Amino acid sequence: MQQLMLRYPTGKVALSGVTLDIHQGQFVYLIGESGAGKSSLMKMLYGGVRPSSGQLSVQQIDMREAGEARIREIRQRTGIIFQDHKLLFARTVFENVALPLRVQGWKTERLIPRVRKVLEYVGLADRLWSYPQALSGGEQQRVAIARAMTANPSIIIADEPTGNLDIETASRVLDYLMDLNRQGATVIMATHDLHLLESHPGRVIQLHAGSLAGGDL
Amino acid sequence: MRRNSTPELIPDKVNPRLPGGFNVPPFGIQQTLAVIIVCIALWAVGAIWLGVQAASQWVGGWQDDIHIHVYLDTANASQEPELRSALEAIPQISALRKISPEEAARWMQEWLDNAGLNQKELVSRLPITFELSLNDEQSQFLFDDIRDAATRHGGAVNESEVDMAQAHQWIAQAEYLAWFASLILALAMALIISNTLRMMLLARADEIHLMRLMGAKEWFVRMPFILEGMLLGGIAGIAAWILLWPLLLGTGEWLEMLQVDLNMWVLLLPLLLGGALVGAFGALVATARVDSSEKAG
Repeated sequence: MQQLMLRYPTGKVALSGVTLDIHQGQFVYLIGESGAGKSSLMKMLYGGVRPSSGQLSVQQIDMREAGEARIREIRQRTGIIFQDHKLLFARTVFENVALPLRVQGWKTERLIPRVRKVLEYVGLADRLWSYPQALSGGEQQRVAIARAMTANPSIIIADEPTGNLDIETASRVLDYLMDLNRQGATVIMATHDLHLLESHPGRVIQLHAGSLAGGDL
Repeated sequence: MRRNSTPELIPDKVNPRLPGGFNVPPFGIQQTLAVIIVCIALWAVGAIWLGVQAASQWVGGWQDDIHIHVYLDTANASQEPELRSALEAIPQISALRKISPEEAARWMQEWLDNAGLNQKELVSRLPITFELSLNDEQSQFLFDDIRDAATRHGGAVNESEVDMAQAHQWIAQAEYLAWFASLILALAMALIISNTLRMMLLARADEIHLMRLMGAKEWFVRMPFILEGMLLGGIAGIAAWILLWPLLLGTGEWLEMLQVDLNMWVLLLPLLLGGALVGAFGALVATARVDSSEKAG
């Protein structure tokens, strides 16, 4: 991304003059105070908002010029994890995790083994038919991770995934993300939990008031 | 909700309720209510068209036998040949027959249930009568031509018979009104279905938002709602058709008396497809404004 700027219709400038490159396979922490522009930057990476000016390419796709089809393409290759999980509470764990595959047109017979494998990976094979409200916060976040990784995305965007978790659970969540990164996925994670950076090192990008603060740390 | 301590394996045969695409969501109370309301409206549409069908058959039944009578007072008897010629010149009159006074008197006696009138006196008082058979009673100026010919030669037309012969116009008007009522009811049905689906859309807003975040195509997001709308309309159509049978059976004797034989099967497809079409239209209206901030582009 080069000289990236994002101004919302309200006039608020969320990002200004951000220039950086994130290469495939990196594990990147986005840190900064609330309102620094972390979430806005991540939204731009999956086409949730378009840059107002500057250049942003995600997997060789220009996000300013990309049509709906290209944005959908990017989203199908991106796993998104939210701080509040955004799980569907009226659907089972299995259905939540199967959703990205269903969106990509996978037949039920084909997606079952994949969902099973992913849920076994996050240690929730015994909660397939549970509903999310029956799970603890950590388990819900693991379901969200399973959902994000089920379609085998090349980018995982995690917006403060450990925000509501205790240190031990947060560390476990980071373990999963690190593991996915080792398998080749680019992980971009916004966080306030700076203590995690010691146990789970990665590239750190600090934002302050919508701009890069002192470059990469 | 099942919570076992032992691992729950996914059975080989499993049918998870996955959203999107051609998967129709489960029916709830709102959908059931919508089906009931749309069914009542479709029943009304079906009843209207059954009525039109019955009226058409009834009118068609006696219209085949209808004749128009033109009367000429005996005082104007000299005009009879001219009147006959003028009437015969009208192309829509297929046959013209002069009814003898004796025949007319006999018919009148029968009509009055042999009231004991003096046959001779009756014959002397009855006018000269022509009986006209028509080959196209729907012709635009036919009755004006007959009326014109009669008045030119001192005669008169039986206007009651003219009104009866023109009953097809009433049927045409009734059909027009039936179309109008059907259209209004169709719009109301589409609105009901649209409103129901709008509630469903709001209830599933998170799901739609997530599917878009995952790169779902617009048809994939909207298709379940369109299918649901069609299904709601289709089910209501079949239910309305079934509920029309008691109406038909209840009026069976009356219809038989009028020599009307209604065909209910003719209504099955229109009600089914009409319901589905109205449902699809309602769904399109409901989903037209489904937007989220994460919509691609």
